[in-house]
Amino acid sequence: MHATYSPEERLFQDQVRSFLRNNFNAELAARIREPETFKAATIEWQKKRFAKGWVAPGWPVEYGGCAWTDTQKYIFDGALAEAEAPDVPPFGLKMVGPVIYTFGNEEQKARFLPGILNGDTWWCQGYSEPGAGSDLVALQTRAERDGDDYIINGTKIWTTYAQHADWIFALVRTDTTAKPQQGISFLLIDMRSSGVSVAPITSIDGEHHLNEVRFDNVRVPVANRIGEENKGWTYAKALLTHERTALSGIAYCKQVLNTVRRLAADENDDGQALLASPTLQARMADIEMELMALEYTELRVLAAVAKGGAPGMESSLLKLKGTELQQAVQSLQFDVAGLYGSVLPSTGLAMGHDYGDRARREYMFGRACTIYGGSNEVQKNIIAKFGLGL
Amino acid sequence: MDFSLNAEQQLLKDSVDKYMSERYDSEQRRSYLAAPKGFSAAVWQDFGNLGWLTVPLPESEGGFGGSVVDTAVLMEAMGRSVAVEPYLATVLLAGQLIANGDNATLKERYLPDILSGNCQAAFAYQERRSRHQLDAIDCQLERNGDGYSLNGHKTLVLNGAIADVLIVTAWLDESIALFAVPANSAGVHCDAFRLMDGQGVANVRFDAVQLPRENLVCAGAGSMALIRRVLDEATIAVSAQAVGAMEYLLKATVDYSNTRKQFGQPIGKFQALQHRMVDMYTATEQCRSLLVRALCSNSIEQGDVQTQAQAEMDIAALKAMVGKHGRAVAEEAVQIHGGMGVTEELNIGDYLKRLMVIDSLFGDQDWQRRRFATLRYQ
Ligand SMILES: Cc1cc2nc3c(=O)[nH]c(=O)nc-3n(C[C@H](O)[C@H](O)[C@H](O)COP(=O)(O)OP(=O)(O)OC[C@H]3O[C@@H](n4cnc5c(N)ncnc54)[C@H](O)[C@@H]3O)c2cc1C
Ligand SMILES: Cc1cc2nc3c(=O)[nH]c(=O)nc-3n(C[C@H](O)[C@H](O)[C@H](O)COP(=O)(O)OP(=O)(O)OC[C@H]3O[C@@H](n4cnc5c(N)ncnc54)[C@H](O)[C@@H]3O)c2cc1C
Repeated sequence: MHATYSPEERLFQDQVRSFLRNNFNAELAARIREPETFKAATIEWQKKRFAKGWVAPGWPVEYGGCAWTDTQKYIFDGALAEAEAPDVPPFGLKMVGPVIYTFGNEEQKARFLPGILNGDTWWCQGYSEPGAGSDLVALQTRAERDGDDYIINGTKIWTTYAQHADWIFALVRTDTTAKPQQGISFLLIDMRSSGVSVAPITSIDGEHHLNEVRFDNVRVPVANRIGEENKGWTYAKALLTHERTALSGIAYCKQVLNTVRRLAADENDDGQALLASPTLQARMADIEMELMALEYTELRVLAAVAKGGAPGMESSLLKLKGTELQQAVQSLQFDVAGLYGSVLPSTGLAMGHDYGDRARREYMFGRACTIYGGSNEVQKNIIAKFGLGL
Repeated sequence: MDFSLNAEQQLLKDSVDKYMSERYDSEQRRSYLAAPKGFSAAVWQDFGNLGWLTVPLPESEGGFGGSVVDTAVLMEAMGRSVAVEPYLATVLLAGQLIANGDNATLKERYLPDILSGNCQAAFAYQERRSRHQLDAIDCQLERNGDGYSLNGHKTLVLNGAIADVLIVTAWLDESIALFAVPANSAGVHCDAFRLMDGQGVANVRFDAVQLPRENLVCAGAGSMALIRRVLDEATIAVSAQAVGAMEYLLKATVDYSNTRKQFGQPIGKFQALQHRMVDMYTATEQCRSLLVRALCSNSIEQGDVQTQAQAEMDIAALKAMVGKHGRAVAEEAVQIHGGMGVTEELNIGDYLKRLMVIDSLFGDQDWQRRRFATLRYQ
């Protein structure tokens, strides 16, 4: 048991850092954060990673993965955090991509994987419905067979970035008579198909991330179905496990903690630097220690997976603890900003404080991370039932 | 010992509860927020006509002479509806400073209009570096002939953008003085912002603003004592708002849990959620108790040093706990509403935002906890 880097690994770390220095900067980070420039800047960032061959570390090499060891992946994520660089959008690379290369046919792989890798196709996830949130198998969106097509009718909700998406991967009901889990199929749907409409939902950070997506007699070729009819739930479940592991957000937490340290050093707290406050230090230390633990939990899970184990309840554990910590650092960041954390920006005016707005938006939208990707209550139910045998 | 409201207070409570239930649902609130000033002029006028703007001000100044209890009754109801009217800034901060200062001319000039709803006011005391330290300021008054010249910046002044008069803290010689600055004075520049909970704030710059002597609200040692007293009462008032907001959230969350179905049953049937709502209930009751406690100790004559220290400790305890539990209750309310909780379609987020703002105002939970510990253990 050891956790030191070999000379090759240290060399790799230098390469990653130098790549980030040359390809990522605060200006790009700011454009990724701003809603108006978010999409273009995100794609720009993805393309830089794609050009380097570093866009899909988790994928098998034959599909465009990096052939990295877990240590290299860990080094890469750590360097991203240092550079305050966000990860690429998960919907293609971490969600539908793995489903396509695992369960899709050759034609589907050839058709969809390149766009996912190079950032040309923006994907969104169409699972949840108004009546099917935590109870996902209650989904009602219907797909009826009509020759070589399915005709889709129904409503998806909470669809993140559907307004930007070219394609949606959706769970639809193809059999209403079978047990709920057994009548679901996994479809890839072109967002430009006629009958698809997208309505925005404003979230509590005041932004438009979420949407309601309606399907009104939308024709989708049967060729766009992944795997077998009525087996979609199996594929979706495999993906959910991936998604949850992707949600632990350790790198993000480290970034915020770094920011908080920097900011708290400059804030006055009754005549001292806020960073010197024992209360603040105790709070930061608590979070940091949990994060150190979670980092190793993640490494232990990755190591087990590399030896052939499947992430089961561990992925729930990572999601659960990771999102709790995300919210903890977001609260911390908000508190350090003081009342500036509550100020809405006003066009053309300088607020006189450069992180309050970010602290507010991240805190507010961060409330959702314990809800999406399977709520934390659902994750606890999973661990209780399948992990602890309750 | 009697924790009930007296007859007058009960009447006040009935009238404000009735008004808010008729005039302040979340749709109405949104329409008020959309008005140019960020609140409804009609509602403000109603507050004036109903006499609510007079509640805390001394009878000698034409006020109702109410105690912190009366104010709490009003503020709790406003918290329950996340009201956006600038009652805090105009009446509880600026109004109280003028009314309890020692300048009869200013009282005559401003109080009648404040009481009738025709004057908006603000208290400008924080600067970029202050955080919660009242004397970490750089605004400076210099003598200039018979009067003074004011220079400096104030930040995030509640109601600052629409106030007719700003009560400003600034150094005068070796101590902090309070000055009334008409907003239309030459050299006053104002950048308006909105807080996420709907309240208006402003960053204000004073460039050699010329002020006559008679605009001095209070100077010398008395001014800091006056500021502290007014802020303490305002702290109780926002805590009362918080308790109102928490009670609303608890009820809304229980109602939602009884109607939203997943897995074939109302989510309120899941024990994991039931216990969390019980925790919300416990937290709310604890905060209500600290509110009652602080109201008791702060509505009696402040006789000796000991009762005064106790009263102050009660305020610190109240504000610290309201900050902590208020946020926790609101975060739980969002969580239990699932995706709906993080949308602007429901009003749950409005309450979260107000409770976050309340925690940041007048000393956040960490600061108040430290204040409590200092009073208690040192
Ligand atoms: C910001 C955001 C982005 C999202 N993005 C997407 C997306 O891109 N694509 C997509 O398909 N979906 C997306 N979702 C939807 C998300 O997966 C659902 O919101 C989530 O599954 C919860 O469903 P719900 O909102 O209907 O809440 P509900 O299921 O109604 O849950 C309400 C509350 O009840 C609790 N609860 C439910 N069942 C139980 C139980 N058995 N035991 C204990 N507690 C329980 C929940 O934990 C929650 O606290 C997103 C959601 C959000 C908030
Ligand atoms: C020091 C002591 C003194 C006592 N004195 C007396 C006495 O004077 N007279 C007397 O009659 N009895 C007495 N008791 C007994 C006491 O009332 C029982 O211990 C208590 O009711 C719990 O029952 P149990 O020990 O069988 O635990 P269980 O009922 O088996 O409970 C085990 C655990 O499961 C939890 N649990 C049980 N049901 C639920 C549920 N529906 N939902 C969620 N969680 C649940 C409990 O909270 C507990 O954590 C005493 C017990 C102790 C420890």
